[in-house]
Parts: sequence; structure tokens; C-alpha cells
Amino acid sequence: MKESAVDRETELERRFGDPFDDDNPVGFGALLAADERAELLPEGERLLTEWGCNLEFVPARLGGNWRGVDELGRRLRPVFRRDPALGLGYGVTSLMASVNMWVAGSMEQQRGLAAELRMGHRIAVAFHELEHGNDFLRNALRAELDGDRAVLTGVKEVINNVERAESLALFARTSGDAGARSHSVLWLRKKQLSAGRLRYLPRFRTSGMRGCRIGGIAFDGSEVPAELVGAAGSGVETALRGFQITRTVLPSMAVGVLDSALHIVHRFVTERKLYGHRVSDLPHARTTLAEAFTDLLIADCLATSAARLLHLAPRNCAAPAAAVKYLVPMLLQDAVQDLSEVLGARFYLREGPFAAFGKLYRDLPVVSLGHAGPTACLLTIIPQLPALARRAWHPEAPPAALFDTEAELPRLDFARLSLAGTSADPLAAALLAEAERVDAAEPVRELAGQWRALAAECSLLSGSELGPAASAETFELGERYALLLAASACVGIWRQQRGASGFLGSDEWIHAALRRLSGRLRGDATPLPEQLAEPLFAELTRRVGERESCSLHPTPVFRSAP
Amino acid sequence: MSTTLDTNRVELKPWLAERVAGYLEIEAAGLDSTAPLAELGLDSVYALTLCGDIEDAFGIEVEPTLAWDYPTLDLLTEALREQLGQSR
Repeated sequence: MKESAVDRETELERRFGDPFDDDNPVGFGALLAADERAELLPEGERLLTEWGCNLEFVPARLGGNWRGVDELGRRLRPVFRRDPALGLGYGVTSLMASVNMWVAGSMEQQRGLAAELRMGHRIAVAFHELEHGNDFLRNALRAELDGDRAVLTGVKEVINNVERAESLALFARTSGDAGARSHSVLWLRKKQLSAGRLRYLPRFRTSGMRGCRIGGIAFDGSEVPAELVGAAGSGVETALRGFQITRTVLPSMAVGVLDSALHIVHRFVTERKLYGHRVSDLPHARTTLAEAFTDLLIADCLATSAARLLHLAPRNCAAPAAAVKYLVPMLLQDAVQDLSEVLGARFYLREGPFAAFGKLYRDLPVVSLGHAGPTACLLTIIPQLPALARRAWHPEAPPAALFDTEAELPRLDFARLSLAGTSADPLAAALLAEAERVDAAEPVRELAGQWRALAAECSLLSGSELGPAASAETFELGERYALLLAASACVGIWRQQRGASGFLGSDEWIHAALRRLSGRLRGDATPLPEQLAEPLFAELTRRVGERESCSLHPTPVFRSAP
Repeated sequence: MSTTLDTNRVELKPWLAERVAGYLEIEAAGLDSTAPLAELGLDSVYALTLCGDIEDAFGIEVEPTLAWDYPTLDLLTEALREQLGQSR
């Protein structure tokens, strides 16, 4: 399993080549120039087509390449290392639309979509309405259903690729009742539409991802052929199941952005001299880089474990997936922010060898475009906290395949994804089990104690504290859950790697990671002490020097085409 | 582990009413058992978590979407009664 994942990821890396080479037609120079024109680089899109990007979004049972969710996240990182807009704009939004089909579509629909994706077609995810944001149960675009036709009235806004996609996964209100059975997902295929049935809205300009074609669509009582995906009224359920996948895998892809940022800034500090020193000799710079690298590892541990949990415990992933989508973008953005301060003035220049950093900095917050923001993620977690505290957080040795990325996973069963499963969570259990070991390290015990304290506070929640009107303190409980889940993922992976002699089994990185997480839990992060920062900086230096990724398992990156 | 409730002795409808009223922070006696729960103000995402309470209390497995598919107190009580009857 792992070999094929590295091969596809490595193959894509090879095709992209060295982004620092000014002559590379798909290097940073060319990508930045396209961004200045608010376009996607055509050579980049061509490259992704030739690599067969769309096949990554099609499950293997339908003839595609998609087997493991964690694999999928890793395979798209080469794009996100160079240009998140290219990744999203080429087709990651097709993935977001497609999951609805894989969750709820008929076999015929699934085969039909697989064929379209194989042909290079795009499908836009037409869910979002500016009026309602993430409160999508209030989405208003209306569909009056009549057999295989529908009369549509309303708008969808801030939709990537809405104009050039051949079809749309449309989230429409199909009943006036309040509640969660009043919406449906429809598959709208444009070639079946007669002219004038839909109206495109003007392009939305964004601060980052400027090359993406972000638009909107309006229907004015248009009658269209539209197929239901799943039963009428199942739209919210379908969407929430699909979100568990996309909330896990998109942040995993975005890890590539911090990966690049680390490489760029490390190169900078090694070359730049200030105050009579190389910046890379200054402890402050070394510590900042070490901390950012640690945070990347934390993010990767959480995203990878949660992705594997989808295969191993599909009924228990609603809260973990929301935790990934809440925490990983925050870790990545905060790290990139810290790195920008090391870069100094180079950070905001739009030319020069470090200009790529500025674009990554602008793009990263927008990677979540149209998808769940932090508040929505916490609102998924909060209502489940009392039940999770009661039932899900007990020490238990994890299944072997959870933390071992080389282990085979059972096939992802889309139908078994549960909207609010609160029975035993194997991911949470890992840290609690580790803390019971005779040789458990003090930071692990301390975090297990924090978990018990969290459970006690969660069990006191009731009434309006479990809904959108919850207090700030309750929102903080959701954040603590996410941080502790990340700690559990780190511990689980570290424990699994102890036998091997590599970096991931070392004491230094896990102590650094747990320290970073404890700092966030306390709300006061102190810098990593030298004895933890130095080994991490040394490993980072090795990886940058040898052109390896900064992810959990290093892979070749940024190498020139042979 | 909490012991499951003896469903011969526990009245399902008042038990459910208590859960819903607790969330809404009102008196259970005031709940209209024929009104759609969403219209009473029961948040749809919160409604999913009722299943956890039911599973703990009655020792059965229920779909989180039970309260979505049986969206009044009366309908939900009936559905739960049926599930409990089936699981004996």
C-alpha cells in the first residue's frame, strides 16, 4: 500500500520538478506570474491531466485510484507545495462534489460520474450561499421536484469552477419545513440544459487563490433535468457524511503548503547574513523553524490518523473529522505566520527568490474556500461532547493499522459513516492507553489527566450550551478536544515507530510535539528549549539539504527532472 | 458503566420529553408532542446526539438520524417503542 502511494506522489513530484529553477515551466516563477494575472497556469493544469489527477478522486472499485484516504491526502501534496490554487482550481473541488455521489448515488450515477471524471470533466460543488454561510440547513435555493425534472429558484455563490464544470452537485431545498430533511442533492448535467436556463454571476475576486475561477449561479424559476442523488430530503445527511471525508483529506493536502514554506525559509536563513551572523546560526530563527516543523508533524499525525480512522471505525469519525478541520488549518497558518517573521521584508515582496512564500501565505487561509470554517467545526463537536465524555474516551490499545501507514486498511465504507457516533474512539484511546504504561513519560500522563478533566467538564454541559448559542467557555472545550486528539495521534504514531530506528521513534520529536500542544492547551506557549529545538532543526536541515519532504515520512521533493 | 433502564418501568414519552425540554431549557409539561421538534427549536445537529442518550439508557443501537425521520415527540416515541420491541 505505502509503496504505491509514494510512487504516485513521487511521480507527481518528478513531473513538477524543481520549483526554484527559473527555467522550469511549472516552477514558482511561472506559477507566480499566472497568479499575478489571476489565472491558473495552463502548463500546470496540463501536467495534472497527464498525471491523471481526476482518477485519484474515483474509488478503486469504480476503476479509479482512490484506496486510502490518508494516501489521497499525500498524493496531492506536490501540487499544494507549489500552488494551492492550482490544486483547488484544477479539481479538488471535483473531489468535494464527488463524495456526495460516492456516499449516496446509485450505482448507475456512480459509474456515470466515474466515467466523466476519467474523461477529465469537472463537477462543481454548488452548495454555498453567502446569506447562510456554514449554516447550510437554512440554504434557500429551492427545487420543486417533478420526476426527473426540477424547477430551480435561487442562487449559489462563491463556487469554484461553476462556469467551466460540465456538471454540478447542487444542494437544494426541497421542502419548506424546518429541520434536516428538507434538502436534497441533485446532479445537474449542463449538456442536458437548454440555453438560458441558468445565469452565471460575476466572478468573485479573492485575496488568495486568485487564479481560481470562483463564481456563482442563479436560477430564475428554470425548469431543468436534474437527478436526485439519494432520496429526496437526504441532502443534509449526505453532505454531513461527505464532510467527514473532505474535512479530513483537504487539510492533509494543505500540509504541503507548510512543507514548502519550511523549505523556502530554511534556504533563506542559510543564505542570509545579518548582524555579522548567518541567520541560521541565530537561536531565535532556529527555534522558530524547529517549532514550525514540529507543528507540521503534529498536523500530519492528526490528519493521517483521522483519515485511517475513517476506514477502521467509520461510525466514530464525525467529531474527529471536525477536529482535523478545526485544528490543522490553524496549526499550518500559525506556523506560516511565524515563518513570515523570520523572512522579514522578503515576505511581502512579490518578486525575487522568496516571493513564492508570499503567495503561499495568501493562499493558505483560502484553501478552506466554501468549506467548513472553525466555528462550524466546533459546532459539530460540541453537541457530542457529553456523550463522548461518557462513552468514547477510555484507554485501549489501538488497532495496529491505525498508526502504521504501511498497514493495509479495510475498504472505506461510505455507507457506514455515522453522523454522531459516540462509542469508543480508538484514536482518543491511544494516548489514554499509553499513559497507563509503567514506563509512560510524564508529559503523556499529564495530558491524560487533562483528558479526564475535559471529560468531567463535558459531562456538565446541557441545554443551550450544546447548540449554536453555547458560551465561549464551551467552545474552548471543543478546542481542547481537538488538541488532545492531536496529542493522541502523535503518541500513537510515535509508539508505533519505536521499534524502527528512524526519527519518528525518537524521544526528541514527541517531547517537542507534546510540549507545543500543552502550550496551546494552557494558552501560553513558551519557546521550545534548546535541547528539543536543536534535534528538530538538525532533522529539518537534513531534509531541506537532501530535498526531502517535511512530512511524517520523508519523500523526495523539488528535484530536477532527470 | 450505567445500567440500562428497565423499559417496563420507564415511560418512554416522558423520558424523551425530559431530554428535549432539557435542551430547550423549558418545562417538559409544556412541550407540544405533535409539533415538529425543529419548530420547537431543537437544533438539528443536537438532535443527532439524542441517539447517544438512547443507546446508553436502553442498551440498543439507534441511527443518529432517528429524530430527523420521526420529527415529533409522538412519532419519536412510537419509533423508539418499536425499536425496543424489536430488540427483545
